[in-house]
Amino acid sequence: MERTRKQEISRGVVLFAFNSSKYNYVEMAEYCARRAKSFLDLPTTIITDEESAETITYDFDNIIIVEPDKNNIREHQVWINKGRYQAYELSPYEETLVLDADYVINSDKLLKTFDFSDSFCCHNRTEMLMYPNAPQEFLSSYSYSSLWATVIMFKKSTRAKQIFDALEMVQNNYDHYANIHSFVGGIYRNDYGLTIALKIVNGHSDVPSDYIPWNLVHVGKNTSIYADAPDTFDCKGEEFNTEFTVMYDNWKNSKMRKEYVNIKDMDFHIMNKDLFEGIMNG
Amino acid sequence: MDTKTLIKDAKARFSHNSAKAYLKEKYNSKLVIAEQGGLWRADAQTIALLQALSNQFTITTVLVDTFDNPVEVEITSLLESLTTLYNSVMTEWNEEWKELENKR
Repeated sequence: MERTRKQEISRGVVLFAFNSSKYNYVEMAEYCARRAKSFLDLPTTIITDEESAETITYDFDNIIIVEPDKNNIREHQVWINKGRYQAYELSPYEETLVLDADYVINSDKLLKTFDFSDSFCCHNRTEMLMYPNAPQEFLSSYSYSSLWATVIMFKKSTRAKQIFDALEMVQNNYDHYANIHSFVGGIYRNDYGLTIALKIVNGHSDVPSDYIPWNLVHVGKNTSIYADAPDTFDCKGEEFNTEFTVMYDNWKNSKMRKEYVNIKDMDFHIMNKDLFEGIMNG
Repeated sequence: MDTKTLIKDAKARFSHNSAKAYLKEKYNSKLVIAEQGGLWRADAQTIALLQALSNQFTITTVLVDTFDNPVEVEITSLLESLTTLYNSVMTEWNEEWKELENKR
């Protein structure tokens, strides 16, 4: 089932959101879509399943229903995160930003990604808020530094199609690649899938223009983040809070000291979904 | 609970080091610009080189961009773009830094 409002859309945001028993990913996608509309002025498409679609309250430009692959278990619960490779076929846009639903947009910075590459780019480095020396994540000690599927920009092209085709192939043979790259398989991770797929397409070398030239900012473990004010939606229009307080438990010599910092107008990705729900609710 | 009360109740201290790191991350990313078929960082080194070449009345040159590609550029227009971007981003950075520096 597909509902399309505009026939000739060239640029937009695609969000994958499948509700789990623990988290309402559709609500997160709606929060992300509102901000994408406001800060990036881009239309949004949600890719979801029949059951999750019933909970949609936001007026997405497109709703695409797919059959979810429920064959991924994390913390004893079904975690529907497979099928990201479908973004290429399902995106109604010539130029697409695929975002994780828990990515918080606070600026128009992502628009720059469309200028960086003719085919594809994603993040290859991360920065943890309040933990500046956090090491980069590797698939394993014997493998590559992880790329991140949190933000992907692609333009419909032969090369982008190859990357997403490779991603499908890696997903379908995940345990095999886990074995080769010495990481624990079982739970499928898009980040790892993308890392391997892109390396295959590039002949196991690096193409600098595949990487967004700034770090993906994470709110990581042991870090909390709170919105300084709630977003407001009323007859006067929508007003989005872009100021947040980040708190971190800094352990030194067996003593814990709480530290905080105020941030504003900065995009970030929240790893802890409970914190994201807190932010959504102001 | 508002964040000010939260900070007070948690007896949290403002981290100037984290603030510095956050500002650096935020504003460094803003210094990147795609222009004339290359990707550039509006940093002191690039601007100084362009300025030096411009002073010699050179019209075009080849620069290695942030993707390590050699790109032929028109010096004056790239210099103007990078200088404008540099000034606006650094002014913003400085203002936010001063704001955060006053926190306790």
